[in-house]
Amino acid sequence: MKHRSPLVTLAAVAVAFAIMFTVNMLSGPPGSSSTGTAGPSSAAPAPASASSASSQPTETAVASPSPSASQTTEESKFPEKVVYAGRTKHGSAAIAVAVLGDQSAAYFCDGRNIESWFRGAVRGADTSLKSRSGVALQASLDGDHMKGSVQIKKDTLKFEINEAKKPAGLYRARGSKTTVGWIVLEDGSEVGVQTTGADSTAAPQLDPENPQVTLGGENLDAKPVNGDEDL
Amino acid sequence: MTSVPVPAPQAPPAEPSGTKIAPVVIAFALGTAVAIGLGVYGRLHTPSGHAVNIAGFSSGAAAKAALASVAMALAIVQTVTAMGLYGRIPLRGAWVGTVHRWSGRLAVLISVPVAVHCLYALGFQAYDGRVIAHSLLGCFFYGAFVFKMLILTRDDSPKWALPLAGGLVLSGLTALWVTAVLYFLIV
Repeated sequence: MKHRSPLVTLAAVAVAFAIMFTVNMLSGPPGSSSTGTAGPSSAAPAPASASSASSQPTETAVASPSPSASQTTEESKFPEKVVYAGRTKHGSAAIAVAVLGDQSAAYFCDGRNIESWFRGAVRGADTSLKSRSGVALQASLDGDHMKGSVQIKKDTLKFEINEAKKPAGLYRARGSKTTVGWIVLEDGSEVGVQTTGADSTAAPQLDPENPQVTLGGENLDAKPVNGDEDL
Repeated sequence: MTSVPVPAPQAPPAEPSGTKIAPVVIAFALGTAVAIGLGVYGRLHTPSGHAVNIAGFSSGAAAKAALASVAMALAIVQTVTAMGLYGRIPLRGAWVGTVHRWSGRLAVLISVPVAVHCLYALGFQAYDGRVIAHSLLGCFFYGAFVFKMLILTRDDSPKWALPLAGGLVLSGLTALWVTAVLYFLIV
């Protein structure tokens, strides 16, 4: 004797898979299908570099340049998953660059009131990233560390940063109104900025072992940024 | 809707005369093919890095954790009712089979959005042990599910086939839950 109902169940699951895939493909971010040009040219042109990253928290992935990643033919020379972090030359500001596969994310902040989030793609030993406001950050693998530069308010800021092993690294927390970024350095020191609307101030202390902060009565979990997140 | 085999006590020992091993092998092969196909797709396509979120949760990960936990709870219902069907615990009545079938259907349907998010947004990844295990298990689970559904279509499979398939499905889901939700909750 044969039964048909398990086949019906199988078919129903297959159809559910197909529906979910279709929904996902149709609702991809603007960049994923329409952007034919390389690079994150779809980033919104906002004026200020500071605090611009969190000014449109609802538009996820607008600055995501992942389409360019799929066009590259050059294999990433970076480790599959790595974070570099360090202070900028001459200053207390810090930069962290996270690379995951062929995608990258970066964060610059001065620990007081300037911050910027970047998303980008990896090509060989280079990664180029852009912030939502169009600020560019370039970085290259140089031995086991990373060299690069970023435009901050008309100055070109150079940096040379080392691999940051956990608990060091790049962390981010997002509440209903506030976005916080922290760069935790290998020596345990932290540089972070929180932004609410257009106001940026120093971030609260983060314990990377127990990454929870309370902001404006809201309990937020800080998550490590790996490189493929929507920022 | 009469797919679950007759409870063991009533089943006349159809073995060894009427059992056939070939359909089990075919079902296993098809399940394996599905598992490999999912893995190859997950590895080859470029992860999108994002997918549709389900409203009402604090994050995509929270939504996935919640759905996966519902599926896991239903899997426990599956285990208990299966034990009843096989006479291992005193659960009797037609409702046991019905509960078993529908909890299973619901569980696997609930798992689909989670799996699609994994496959579409994240892909098959191998950057640490947990992630490798989770990626392999995700493929394994749907392969095992296909195997079990195909075995259910016939009454002439050996007695061990169905518990084996069910056990594989349950083990797969449990390990998936541990390598993702438990990790999400405690780390």
